Amino acid sequence: MASLWRKLTHHDGNGWWNLPHTASNEPNPPHEGPIGGAWLGNIWRIMTYGGVSHAGPGFYWLVGLFLSIVTLIEVWLFDIGAVLGGWYIPLLLILSLLKFIGVVAFFMHLRFDHRLFTYLFGASMVVGIFIFTLLLLLLEFGNQPPN
Amino acid sequence: MTQAATTEHHTPVEHTTTGLNNRKLLMWAFLGSDVMFFGAFIATYLVYRGKSLVGPYPSEVLNIPITTVSTFVLLMSSLAMVLALHYVKEGEKNKGTLWILVVVVLGTIFMGFQFVEFREFAHLGLTPRTNIFGTTFFILTGIHGAHVTIGVIWMAFLAYSSNSGALRSDNALDLEIAGLYWHFVDIVWIVIFTVIYLISANDAPPPGMESVIH
Amino acid sequence: MTTNALTFPRFFPRPQSETGIWGWIGTVDHKRIGTLYGITSFLWFLVAGVEALLIRVQLASAENTFIGPEFYNQLFTMHGTTMVFLVIMPLSAAFFNWLIPLQIGARDVAFPRLNALSYWVFLFGSLIMNAGWITGDAPNGGWFGYAPNSGVTFNPGLGMTYWVVGLNILGVASIAAGLNFIITIINMRAPGMSMFKMPVFTWMTLVTSVLLVLAMPILAVAGIQLQTDRVYGTHFFNSLAGGDPVMWQHIFWLFGHPEVYILILPAMGIVSEVLPTFSRKPLFGYAFVVFAGIVIGFMGWFVWSHHMFTVGLGPAANTAFAMSTMLIAVPTGVKIFNWIGTMWRGNIQLNTAMLFSISFIAMFTIGGLSGVMHASPPTDSQQQDTYFIVAHFHYVLVGGALLGIFSGIYFWWPKFTGWFLNEKLGIANWALMLIGMNLQFGPQHWLGMDGMPRRIYTYAENMGWEGSNLAASIGGFILGFGILLFMINIVYSRMNKKIAPADPWDGRTLEWSTSSPPPVHDFDEIPVVVYRDDFWFKKHPETISEYYHNDHDVEDIAPSATQTAEEHEDDHGGHEGIHLPDKSYYPFILGVGIAIFGIGFLTNTYVIAAGVPIFLWGMLGWSMEPVNDPT
Repeated sequence: MASLWRKLTHHDGNGWWNLPHTASNEPNPPHEGPIGGAWLGNIWRIMTYGGVSHAGPGFYWLVGLFLSIVTLIEVWLFDIGAVLGGWYIPLLLILSLLKFIGVVAFFMHLRFDHRLFTYLFGASMVVGIFIFTLLLLLLEFGNQPPN
Repeated sequence: MTQAATTEHHTPVEHTTTGLNNRKLLMWAFLGSDVMFFGAFIATYLVYRGKSLVGPYPSEVLNIPITTVSTFVLLMSSLAMVLALHYVKEGEKNKGTLWILVVVVLGTIFMGFQFVEFREFAHLGLTPRTNIFGTTFFILTGIHGAHVTIGVIWMAFLAYSSNSGALRSDNALDLEIAGLYWHFVDIVWIVIFTVIYLISANDAPPPGMESVIH
Repeated sequence: MTTNALTFPRFFPRPQSETGIWGWIGTVDHKRIGTLYGITSFLWFLVAGVEALLIRVQLASAENTFIGPEFYNQLFTMHGTTMVFLVIMPLSAAFFNWLIPLQIGARDVAFPRLNALSYWVFLFGSLIMNAGWITGDAPNGGWFGYAPNSGVTFNPGLGMTYWVVGLNILGVASIAAGLNFIITIINMRAPGMSMFKMPVFTWMTLVTSVLLVLAMPILAVAGIQLQTDRVYGTHFFNSLAGGDPVMWQHIFWLFGHPEVYILILPAMGIVSEVLPTFSRKPLFGYAFVVFAGIVIGFMGWFVWSHHMFTVGLGPAANTAFAMSTMLIAVPTGVKIFNWIGTMWRGNIQLNTAMLFSISFIAMFTIGGLSGVMHASPPTDSQQQDTYFIVAHFHYVLVGGALLGIFSGIYFWWPKFTGWFLNEKLGIANWALMLIGMNLQFGPQHWLGMDGMPRRIYTYAENMGWEGSNLAASIGGFILGFGILLFMINIVYSRMNKKIAPADPWDGRTLEWSTSSPPPVHDFDEIPVVVYRDDFWFKKHPETISEYYHNDHDVEDIAPSATQTAEEHEDDHGGHEGIHLPDKSYYPFILGVGIAIFGIGFLTNTYVIAAGVPIFLWGMLGWSMEPVNDPT
């Protein structure tokens, strides 16, 4: 217990809650890709780093292609929306989340950058999504008369 | 004051606790703030979705094919932005300037699309005063458009300084910060495109309430 | 700063004068900006106080005709709005400005010009909001501006437009200041000062700033929606077109509840500095106090609907929000017990600052307990819109925030000015304020229980409310007299200066290590921090073993900090010249541009267009302002 408390609160650079306090010009590259350390992960690493600290243009073109394709899928889903019934809405939300993550993680370099930026942006995303979802739920289900 | 002071500014040596640049942190924190701003507007739109009492209704005015094109334009401007940053960092001045200009042009095209769309809607009888859909739609997309406009002005300024040689690899951070803003405007549009256009475009008028415009 | 090679035509030289009006307009010094914030918000405090006294005169007797209903509406609206947005928030901002760089061992905030911009925008926003007093139609829709009552249908004229435009402009100032302090605290700390060695006031400022940055945009959205409704005829809150009045309440309280913690957390931070100093003990349970502050800041987002229990959100929602509201009392209670624990067996020195802090604990506890009472929806439906609520939030805001801020004023005044405030007058000031506020707000509890509604300009004779109301009015004047005594104290102490040394209270934090008042560059040499309460332990090294009795702790803390100190020796030593930010007029110009936008929304769209060139000029000049260029 005591050690857990130390780990939470201590400030020598090992605590969980520490904000880093040393210079970090080097990005913290993930040693493995999102798909593991096998050959796919290696390809990922070569693509995203290409020997330098940031991704190369080729990779950015690839992300751009990905964004365009997902957009096309979204529009296609919209077109066949009648077939899917109500299901196309969650699908669309998931796809736009993918695009969102693509831009934030790669175009905005959040994946290659210092964690603190992720905390700053992520904290407001979490609070925002939480409270506005709660608000929508309240207004959607709150006013129903009791049975 | 002195040449030394000016030179020093060219390669600013900032000592910060985390080693991160103050202005870049500021931009990220500001974007976090902007998340709440757009979040509240999007939430308002969703709360009022389908609450219009009179037409035109979304399915009567929203034009998905054209908006798909403008969405694609904005996505590609984001790609151009990140390429511009890459080349400016590499010190390739001409390529960097070119890609910043591409951002400016694509951003302007997007604004053009929005202008045409607004005019078309007004022509179809939808203004912010018409109904609750018009109110929420115009204010949300209008404020996003204002963000794009600021971004375009900022980018034009950076294109000029890149061309004049003032923006170089050692102060590419200026471009990076502007780029963060630009990408943020792009991700807001990603959400708007899905939530307002794709999800609401099927919101048809109730029977008997169709506008006569078609 | 974007392009150094570009030059921009400048109409003025870069400001050089240190004194005079231009010295103040061009200043970017955090201490001067803090002073500006302090003076401006104290003036607004007097204005809002007079408004409160007028209200109390009107309510002193039944069927009083001193003030008419319309003027009464304006008075309570502007009293609330002014006290929240123009008094407590900027008074806290004055402390942020003065203290944060001093407490973390920095020479200024991260963005000095942005800091100046925050002040100017705040000033213009506050003037616009109060402009209605001059034109005769002051805002009259309550400080929460419930739509559609604040909409143009039910509230024609410019009144609420002043309110909403002023609020939007103030929001810009708050967001800019909040961002500035987040970055300053994260990124400008002295070598060795890790997050958990920061003073608690700095921590509370960080939490407050995060809340500001995340909550003010929501208010901005509410404001923009109401503003377009009023000015351009949109339908956000027009129920005839499908708009939902409850939506305004939701958006306003989504902002409004975090705002409550924006108001109280700085005072909590102040008290957490004063109590250890005058108990001559470190703060009891530092980590608990800090985490309680963070938890309050986070949970504050999930309680907003307790302002709306009587709206009819349904039993499930009411239950959930009742639970979260009761839960948020837990971290607050943690803090109260830690403050008491700090005083426990301490060597207590009862001076004005300490008395204010101790009464803060007591009064805030009373206000907090009545808050837990209406956390329960059935109880709340009884108390909603009665004077019980008025009593509750005045105990929290006057007894809490304001007493805390006064404690901070007496505590840091020698640091700010270099001389002491008179102790005898100070204690009289404290006693009058404490007696006055209890006499004023205590009886309002039973007035509320007796069913007296809020926001009524008079009441019938046979309701049995006269005695309590008269007591409250007398209390109001006693409180006002306390404030008068405070001003007398300033004048008296100024005339009979008792010069303060650098460290008059045997303080614990870094601001006491520099002279009183601090030099322009704050620290001759940037301090290197080893311990929490570093200044204290360096003054009294014999106490180190007493508080860091765990050997592991000392080993753990000391080497890492000395190591950091060595790393930083070259760049932070401060021997080879101190770089101070240059003065600038552009924050003022940009502020004028934003003010013109605001005036444009009130008068004519073309005026907005007139603001654009000034705004752009400010932006361009700002971004291209050369560094260290005297011409």
